[in-house]
Amino acid sequence: MKKMNKIVALIMLVALTLGAAGCGAKQEEKKDGLKVVLLITSNLGDKGFYDSANDGMKLIEKELGAEVKTIEMGQDPSKYEPYFRDVAEQDWDYIIVGSSPAVEIAETLIPEYPDKKFIMFDTEVDWSKGDFSNLYCVQYKQNEGSFLAGAVAAIMTTEGKNANPEKVIGCIGGGDLPIINDFMIGYIRGAQYVEPDIKVAVAYAGTFVDSTKGKELALSQMNQQNVDICFQIASQTGIGVLDAAKEKGLYAIGVDGDQAAAFKDSDPGMAEVIVTSMMKRVDQSLLRAVKMAEEGSLTWGKTEVIGLKELGVGIIYGENFERELSEEKQNMIKDIEQQIIDGKIQVDSALGMDTAEFEVIRNEVAP
Amino acid sequence: MKQIVNIIFSTQFFYSILRISTPIMFASMGALITSRAGVINIGLEGIMLFAALSGVIFSAVTGSAWMGFLGAVATGVLIAILMSYVALILKSHITLTGIAINMFASGSTVFILYLVTGDKGISSSLASKVMPTVALPLIGKIPVVGEILSGHNILTYLSFLAVLFTYILLNKTVIGLRIRAVGENEQAALSVGAKPVKYQFIAMLISGVLAGMGGAYMSMGYVSWFSRDMVAGRGFIALAAQQLGQGTTLGTMCATFVFGMADALANNLQALQMPSEFVQSIPYLTTIIGLVVFSIAKQRKELKRIRENNQKAV
Repeated sequence: MKKMNKIVALIMLVALTLGAAGCGAKQEEKKDGLKVVLLITSNLGDKGFYDSANDGMKLIEKELGAEVKTIEMGQDPSKYEPYFRDVAEQDWDYIIVGSSPAVEIAETLIPEYPDKKFIMFDTEVDWSKGDFSNLYCVQYKQNEGSFLAGAVAAIMTTEGKNANPEKVIGCIGGGDLPIINDFMIGYIRGAQYVEPDIKVAVAYAGTFVDSTKGKELALSQMNQQNVDICFQIASQTGIGVLDAAKEKGLYAIGVDGDQAAAFKDSDPGMAEVIVTSMMKRVDQSLLRAVKMAEEGSLTWGKTEVIGLKELGVGIIYGENFERELSEEKQNMIKDIEQQIIDGKIQVDSALGMDTAEFEVIRNEVAP
Repeated sequence: MKQIVNIIFSTQFFYSILRISTPIMFASMGALITSRAGVINIGLEGIMLFAALSGVIFSAVTGSAWMGFLGAVATGVLIAILMSYVALILKSHITLTGIAINMFASGSTVFILYLVTGDKGISSSLASKVMPTVALPLIGKIPVVGEILSGHNILTYLSFLAVLFTYILLNKTVIGLRIRAVGENEQAALSVGAKPVKYQFIAMLISGVLAGMGGAYMSMGYVSWFSRDMVAGRGFIALAAQQLGQGTTLGTMCATFVFGMADALANNLQALQMPSEFVQSIPYLTTIIGLVVFSIAKQRKELKRIRENNQKAV
């Protein structure tokens, strides 16, 4: 037994040494050019929001020739401060931080580093809490993009090849949160714009990681409520929604990234049912912010909310969209988009609305 | 109210109970065997997570779902061996070991996933295979019952066999008897020559096999990919089911179905205009209520026994 102990100890030692060697990743050489760092309050690999932020860094690297770095701070907020301080004490030109879990730490630390420039996305600080003249926050009008998603869903539930006669569409959110509800209200209003008497089934998973939960909820909507197209607003949980649509031969709308493209090679059956995806163009917004900051046209010390007009949000006009919708309907969607950009259509927002108010709207359209 | 009844008495509802219960069933049988041996396997969650990942990787590499399944089971056993070695032979605390395994699993599966796919969230870039679904011959033709029982993933049927296996193992075999003896009283078992560590090790291995199957179901049946932390607490629900089942195979199976039903109900009740927070808490409320009811019942029984004994003594 003793010998076995020694062998196990040896194996552990080797594993640890190898692990440690892996950590000392190659240090890149320092250049004198622009340096931009991104801190995210999660990990990469969500095929959506945070990956999009990382894509933004690649765009910044490519288009502005900057040196970039992405740091995944993970999901434990108690670990954020050391990352934040380390980065603030290095010589980065712009420090980009997202999203809402980092607000508190940003509120206390940003005023301590007045000569650094910070950019936050998909959240904002309480501007009255101190001097934030070195900070710019960008938020997204997810309600505008979701309005288009709702309009597409309303068309699909009446004209889709596999759709049932009932005009019921569904959406599944990760949690009952203001931002998720902002997606939903846009979706509901967009659907109503096309089909005034449409019904919308709403469910919340209460988790953003459990794909099977998303699948169960979507199957329940499809089996019990005659939903034939479902909009997922639930990150990894939502992949299960896409899977449910594939299993039932119905339709889904993806979120945060072009999910039809993401699954095209590995799971063509699933990619095929994703009519379109509603994207928060985090990548574009970060490139835009850094570009404007370099040109000196960015207004520091305030929040900017960007929508369809600024390419902050949008839906994918991909091959599935073109295959499933007639040309007339495709133009109709593009026309609605133009009307929102021109300000002719004003989309309701759930931000700043309390839960009870939104519940009233949700119940009005419930099947 | 009518809507609730419509939902509950639909075949789809019962069908979904079986689908939801499958992974918990494997794990709760694993939990049952180890707890009868006197060790609590908190690490089921982590074992399932490892197995779910290795099922995806093995099936993608070999191009065969069954090889993936075997890979998942082997991984389950391997982690169970690691856990038993640390806890039973090196004598670290079993609960702490289990917690460590769970945390280790949560982090390292993402790391391995990243090494294999370059992705940290989901294994969708791997062309992994899915275990086949089975249309039952005869039973599938019966209306209603057939719709509920037929057409499930093969692993769902295997989970029923796992229940049968557990029952026979614990009640009809020598190993089962020894496992139970070790769990009841280590010293007494030792005095008749049954080495506690040996039988606890065996129980842990079997729970590794079962949890491995549960993990395989998650990524190769329920859905067709691995994603970060996808087991999502099912290992712990299984432990609760085992507690509720009072250490019996049948009881544990029933408790698992109760949890499966609570979960299915929570998914379906979202259709009604109920606060989502309440609906989402149904499975957990069921756990707490179940445990309370069973504890009270157990206590009463115990009190009654003591009273009767006293009367006899008088």
